[in-house]
Amino acid sequence: MEAYFIAIGIIALIYVILSLGLTLQYGLTGLINFGHVGFFAIGAYTSALLALKGVPLVLSFAAAAALAGLAAWPLGLVSLRLRDDYFAIVTLGFSEVVRIVITSEGWLTNGVQGLPGIPRLYEGLGGSAAQLAVLVTVLAVTLVGTWIIRRIAGSPFGRLIEAIRDNEEAVQALGKDPARFKIQVLVVGAALAGIAGAFYAHYITYIVPDQFIPLVTFYVWMAIIMGGVGRVSGAIVGTAILMLFLEGSRFLRDIVPGVSEVDMASVRIGAVGLLLVLFIMYRPQGLMGDYTKR
Amino acid sequence: MFYAQLLVNGLVQGLVIGLAALSITLVFGIARFPNAATGDFMTFGAYSALSAHKVTGSIAMGGLAAIIATGVISLLAYLAVFRRLAERSVVALLVASIGIAFFIRAVLGVAFGHSQQVFQVPLSRPYVFGSVRITPLDLQLALVALAALALVFAILYLTPIGRQMRAVADNRDLARVSGIRPDRVMIALWLLAGSVAGIAGMMLGIKTIVTPEFGWEMLLPAFTAGILGGIGSPVGAVVAGLILGVVQEVSTPFVGFTYKIALAFIIMLAVLLVRPRGLFGRLEGAR
Amino acid sequence: MSLEIHDISKAFGGFRALDGVRLTIETGSLFGIIGPNGAGKSTLFSVVSGFARADEGQIRLDGQSLDSLSPPARARAGMVRTFQVPREFRHLTVRENLMAAAPKQTGESLLGLFFRPGRVREEEGAIAERVNETIRFLKLSAVADQPSGKLSGGQKKLLELGRALMVEPRLILLDEPFAGVNPVLIGEIMERITELNTRGIGFVIIEHDLEALTRLVPQLAVMDRGKVLAQGAPQAVLDDALVREAYLGGVS
Ligand SMILES: Nc1ncnc2c1ncn2[C@@H]1O[C@H](COP(=O)(O)OP(=O)(O)O)[C@@H](O)[C@H]1O
Ligand SMILES: [Mg+2]
Repeated sequence: MEAYFIAIGIIALIYVILSLGLTLQYGLTGLINFGHVGFFAIGAYTSALLALKGVPLVLSFAAAAALAGLAAWPLGLVSLRLRDDYFAIVTLGFSEVVRIVITSEGWLTNGVQGLPGIPRLYEGLGGSAAQLAVLVTVLAVTLVGTWIIRRIAGSPFGRLIEAIRDNEEAVQALGKDPARFKIQVLVVGAALAGIAGAFYAHYITYIVPDQFIPLVTFYVWMAIIMGGVGRVSGAIVGTAILMLFLEGSRFLRDIVPGVSEVDMASVRIGAVGLLLVLFIMYRPQGLMGDYTKR
Repeated sequence: MFYAQLLVNGLVQGLVIGLAALSITLVFGIARFPNAATGDFMTFGAYSALSAHKVTGSIAMGGLAAIIATGVISLLAYLAVFRRLAERSVVALLVASIGIAFFIRAVLGVAFGHSQQVFQVPLSRPYVFGSVRITPLDLQLALVALAALALVFAILYLTPIGRQMRAVADNRDLARVSGIRPDRVMIALWLLAGSVAGIAGMMLGIKTIVTPEFGWEMLLPAFTAGILGGIGSPVGAVVAGLILGVVQEVSTPFVGFTYKIALAFIIMLAVLLVRPRGLFGRLEGAR
Repeated sequence: MSLEIHDISKAFGGFRALDGVRLTIETGSLFGIIGPNGAGKSTLFSVVSGFARADEGQIRLDGQSLDSLSPPARARAGMVRTFQVPREFRHLTVRENLMAAAPKQTGESLLGLFFRPGRVREEEGAIAERVNETIRFLKLSAVADQPSGKLSGGQKKLLELGRALMVEPRLILLDEPFAGVNPVLIGEIMERITELNTRGIGFVIIEHDLEALTRLVPQLAVMDRGKVLAQGAPQAVLDDALVREAYLGGVS
């Protein structure tokens, strides 16, 4: 039972890190990133591949963050010249292309077979001690991530990205380039997603392209919309609900006889869809309230 | 000629993309957001057609079912969700369209299962022109698509409601002050957009294998064609769909089958950067 | 030292909003632009500040060509514009709006923010001082900590002006800065503009209220239908027959 809660805790924190990135990008800056899972995937595969080659995990994690952040850079340059809705489509397309590349370049990623045997963190500790150590590490990274986002939100930088969200042209008129800020935001959010991906890969120890479908992006969207867009507390509460939902659906499958995993997957997707629609329609400010009243 | 064959294949594929892009461009031009549920509307059309085909044995009845059922679903999505979000930001509409996409996919998954399904259409000997082979099925599909396109364009360009739709796409405010009733236009729009997506879904289903996910995978090529054609331009969407279909087929020997969608993405980026209003778009750009 | 607007034309569709506009404005001066609604005044500001692309013509500021510069680069070159319809950052307070406008902040880069926190704090203190001054000057103290979206139209115009001042440019383009502002305050702001001008900051002011403008500026231009009809000292310009025709609707 304890092991179960630790496992849930680790996955939940990985989702919190993902939602922190999206909170910075969408919640604070208004960038509609529909391709978050792409950066998550880049982080997961980068760290997994390096670790499988014997690179120390500290370095492979750093590389995961760096590469995911780097991938956001050209995308940012290209996309920041676009309207919001086009940006959403482009990022969605980007994450699909990432998945296609991972699927197709078998020489590197082992294609649809995926990468098994990814080294765990703290393998030396063994058993439940290692699990606990992983939990503590993810928690520490989450706290640092939270601190970073909060610090950014309350800084001159944060002031300016809010200004950008309110009126981009007025920011330009004051001699500041919105693109420069947006790119930094994209890169930081993507790097966070990359780190989340690395944790995921080394925790699950087996990754395949199918784990990186757009549904994951929208799990994160669902979390921040339910919690309250633009609030760090919202990201955390939203993720907690998301985990309850994901675990609950698994639990339900276990107790209801005759429900196959694919059926349950359908039910899960349907519920995500329904929740997204309902929250957008009836409670767009989320459960924790509108960020403007913080 | 090998490439002539790919060209022919590409044209049929292009008609599917063109129809899907037509649905997207109509909604984007008139309701002003990129409808991410379009792919799953297609899936819905494919399963509707599949069911009707199984019962009646007639492809024509399948097509009719796809048109009616998908049109109705699309209209329901509008009435239940999109209409109530009309005054909200584009992100609300976008997220809602994703939600609807997921919901439709889930319902189809539960109702029809996840096993691959195919249209049982009789195989027949292809017509051979030199080295180019055209199957009667492809020919029929092309005719169906052309008929559907002719109908849509007749509606858009010859009927009062079609003229009103285009007027709203051109200039919403002007259309409003000139007494066009937006409600009627929107209902017509969503019926039409759904029906077109439904037909596209059926065609894709006949050409390939139907699964609950298969329409979603057409979303990126369809968006690309919509953008390449110029958002809000029905003619542009179809022309761009054909171009994209052919480019994808002809490039397959070079880039491989799996990179088709990646190619669409690259084309989309290039268009957005170089000529955001596309081939036939009006001045309003992507910025 | 001047802003040179050289034969600028700009069409929207088939409509020529600017039709060969040529103006030379001393950078350190007070210069007015008047003209009926739709004359092309705001469009001229947009072209000069880089928000709209001219179809023809060139723009130079103190000898430097601005044509290839982006709007922010033009602002950094020393010329800031305001908008006729205020563009306040509506979720930010008045104070935050003004703070955001201050130039060259270390805390606006993530590297600076995380690696030079001391310097960021220092700068914030200095900026806060200047902001307080600006708030007092614009008589916005009562609403300083309210979200700017809740201000009245006149207060928003003042905020626009305040943000432009925070940038400390050499030249400020004000688009109808007094519209909706309380008349008593208009007088005070005009005094302050004159004072700032003696310290070397130039102003180009689009204004509807002819009388107010003629009291403020020694030089003005009259625009109509995308053209500059006349330019010079207010009285001379207003006596111009063409101007009387266009601007005063032919009443003599
Ligand atoms: N973005 C635009 N698109 C089309 N027409 C415009 C646009 N901006 C301005 N115009 C037109 O250009 C003319 C000049 O407008 P403007 O410069 O705002 O005039 P003014 O500021 O002198 O009142 C008006 O007829 C206006 O309708
Ligand atoms: Mg004006």
